[in-house]
Amino acid sequence: MLQNIHGTLQFLQRFPPFNQMEQAHLAFLVEQCQLRFYGPGDSILKPSGGPVEHFYIVKQGRVVGERPDSADTTFEITTGECFPLAALLGERATRTEHKAAEDTFCLLLNKPAFIKLFALSSAFRDFALRGVSSLLDQVNQQVQQKAVETLGTQYSLNTRLGELAMRHPVTCSPHTPLREAVTLMHEQQVGSIVIVDEHKAPLGIFTLRDLRQVVADGTSDFSQGIEAHMTQAPFFLSPDHSAFDAAIAMTERHIAHVCLVKDQRLCGVVSERDLFSLQRVDLVHLARTIRNAPRVENLVAIRGEIGQLVERMLAHGASSTQITHIITLLNDHTVCRVIELTLVEKGDPGVPFSWLCFGSEGRREQTLYTDQDNGILFEARDAVEAAEIRGRLLPLAQHINQSLALCGFSLCKGNIMAGNPELCLSRVEWARRFGAFIREATPENLLGSSIYFDLRVVWGDERGCEQLRQGILDQVADNRLFQRMLAENALRQRPPVGRLREFVLTRKGGEKATLDLKVQGLTPFVDGARLLALANGIHANNTLERLRQLVAKQVIEPLDGAAYEEAYHFIQQTRMQQHQLQTRENLPYSNRVDPDSLNHLDRRILREALRQAQRLQSSLTLRYQL
Amino acid sequence: MSLFSWLHKKKPGLDAAQQQRLAQLPKPGALGDGSLRSQRWVVVDLETSGLNLNRDQVLSIGAVVIEDGAVDFSQLFERTLQRTDTKLSPSVLIHGLGPGAIAAGSDPAEALLDFMTFVGDSPLLAFHAPFDQHMLGRALKDSLDYRMAHSVLDVADLAPLLCPDVTLREAGLDDWLNHFKLQAGERHHASADALATAELMLILFSRARQQQIDTPQALLERLAQWKRRQQAPSF
Repeated sequence: MLQNIHGTLQFLQRFPPFNQMEQAHLAFLVEQCQLRFYGPGDSILKPSGGPVEHFYIVKQGRVVGERPDSADTTFEITTGECFPLAALLGERATRTEHKAAEDTFCLLLNKPAFIKLFALSSAFRDFALRGVSSLLDQVNQQVQQKAVETLGTQYSLNTRLGELAMRHPVTCSPHTPLREAVTLMHEQQVGSIVIVDEHKAPLGIFTLRDLRQVVADGTSDFSQGIEAHMTQAPFFLSPDHSAFDAAIAMTERHIAHVCLVKDQRLCGVVSERDLFSLQRVDLVHLARTIRNAPRVENLVAIRGEIGQLVERMLAHGASSTQITHIITLLNDHTVCRVIELTLVEKGDPGVPFSWLCFGSEGRREQTLYTDQDNGILFEARDAVEAAEIRGRLLPLAQHINQSLALCGFSLCKGNIMAGNPELCLSRVEWARRFGAFIREATPENLLGSSIYFDLRVVWGDERGCEQLRQGILDQVADNRLFQRMLAENALRQRPPVGRLREFVLTRKGGEKATLDLKVQGLTPFVDGARLLALANGIHANNTLERLRQLVAKQVIEPLDGAAYEEAYHFIQQTRMQQHQLQTRENLPYSNRVDPDSLNHLDRRILREALRQAQRLQSSLTLRYQL
Repeated sequence: MSLFSWLHKKKPGLDAAQQQRLAQLPKPGALGDGSLRSQRWVVVDLETSGLNLNRDQVLSIGAVVIEDGAVDFSQLFERTLQRTDTKLSPSVLIHGLGPGAIAAGSDPAEALLDFMTFVGDSPLLAFHAPFDQHMLGRALKDSLDYRMAHSVLDVADLAPLLCPDVTLREAGLDDWLNHFKLQAGERHHASADALATAELMLILFSRARQQQIDTPQALLERLAQWKRRQQAPSF
């Protein structure tokens, strides 16, 4: 092979997708290439240039994209990256002007050669068709591959339930005598039997736990039909749901079996044990232990297990969304159990109340390292009664705060805790307080709204909270000024990507230059999604859920929504892996990351993800004319 | 041996096919007033057995083409020449062409015919061109009895001419590559050096267009002017 072909080939092999292509395909690519130079400001491709005729790979330098309607840089392409896939595949002109930002060399592959390569190489085709998403897939594959190496298992939480379930579940009719049904279970060595009608539609389920109940009740007539003892209308999922869905359902509902139903016919049963053997992730067991913990000390001990669970799940390739969801779920169980135990120990105050949470807990976006942000909501006729109820609830709330601190929820430095008299309020008092936030947009009130408006009930009746939320939504929708202030607030944290450099890093003292994944990466998405959700009457709290509903309401474009979601997801995932690494190395946990410590692919996607945050912010600037 | 036969040194032994190819080599084209971009250029680099203009030999030739303003990877030239009579010299440490590689090389006459066919009527570009021009000219004379009349422009002159803002004194190829942060695949490999020189030329052509030098003819004129100024005694 000629030296210059070989040299260029070696250069390309440092970057995806070229590092995954066969050598022969890559050599074909290089042999068909031209090398071109562009000086700073030279236009490489522009919308008026007609259908794109070449595939470009940046060999050296930097290319920026500018939309015709603004001079803002929308993207940056650097060494080893390629463009413009969408326009080339769509046989159209590019929508963005591509300009060289500095002395830049590009390798150009002509269209016939591109098409031939597209047909020859599946790695190249995959990349071309899916662009950056396929890069994300590669990252996920890497994560899972690592898990396979360490745990020696090929299963993941994303396995279809259909592949996991018993093919022929044990079933019987509603009139089958109890004895006969139990005999069937015994013979087949299973823990459950599903009661079905003549069309195989599930009517009920009977498990070993139910049998225990039957025996404990002293029932002596085992010839009774099983329908008297079964759990009616059992919970079911479709075979296309994932193992993760089943684990969540079991945790939420305290059940050990999930029926699989397709076209109203039973087609399988998944048990807790099936999931355990699958993942060795003892999620359901953990949730149950929390809910049945006899004392706060037991809950403290269980906390450590949650850390291990997260570690294993991350290793199994669970996504950051799945993990934050599970942590939130287990935290909710812990909070509920602490409240129940406190009520038993201190006595019921005799007034119904709801335990609220705010901030990341309210948004269901907690990581393992979390502060308390909570409050109490109750109903009162007037101010006098409210003060009287508050007097009764406060000692209880303070006790709960202390117990939660023992369980690993650090006390909130800003005293945003239910034990604070200002956060133990009647519904009318809360409504007045929130109303003031919206009317008087002081910096403190804006900060307050960014914490309190993500409220959610963890324990107790949820109706009061829903009324409060509706009130907030109505007032915000009417108040354009407040929306503008929130928008300004959402622009405070600028994503750390620069025009000239890959990342804009901050250096403290003699430390390495780093960026903050939470404040600089996630906050722009969280703030932006909150503002748009509040302004558009969306009840959801979770950032990703808010984005999805904003797309459904056509407030944001589906493509933008998907890009924001992917970006948010990736930053959160990077942050969690970072936390896990710190735990393993006994370092204090931090959200700061040195981009140089990431591998090439991760660094590139992180930069792209931060750019999406930048795009979300510029869309707010435009929307609110800031 | 008569004086006569000494003056009329025997023509190198070419076979009929080679004779025919030699006869069909196109005449070099004039550097005209077409656009700078449409001109086809051949960027060449040689590895030699040493720096002695009279004794040392061409060991390998690497060349790339700049056409339509771009380096075309489907037109690459790379040959190692078979030399039976070279002694191992210290320059092997630079170009890395050991006796094995040279023994496995192509017949010099064949390789040089291939090269001149590759060049066609295009002008040549080289860094420190006088050296390459002399060595190549001698090799062509010895092996083919061919007199090369192609223009050879020196990139070492074009670079300071087109980049007056850059102050590098007596700069070598490495200095210019460093200045523009260019990376040669493998320095002192004829092909890789030719490609690196070509990349430098792409930058220089872009600078030339910015200075309204739009034709090869204009480029030649400016180069001649610049050389005269360089040689003029300064006071």
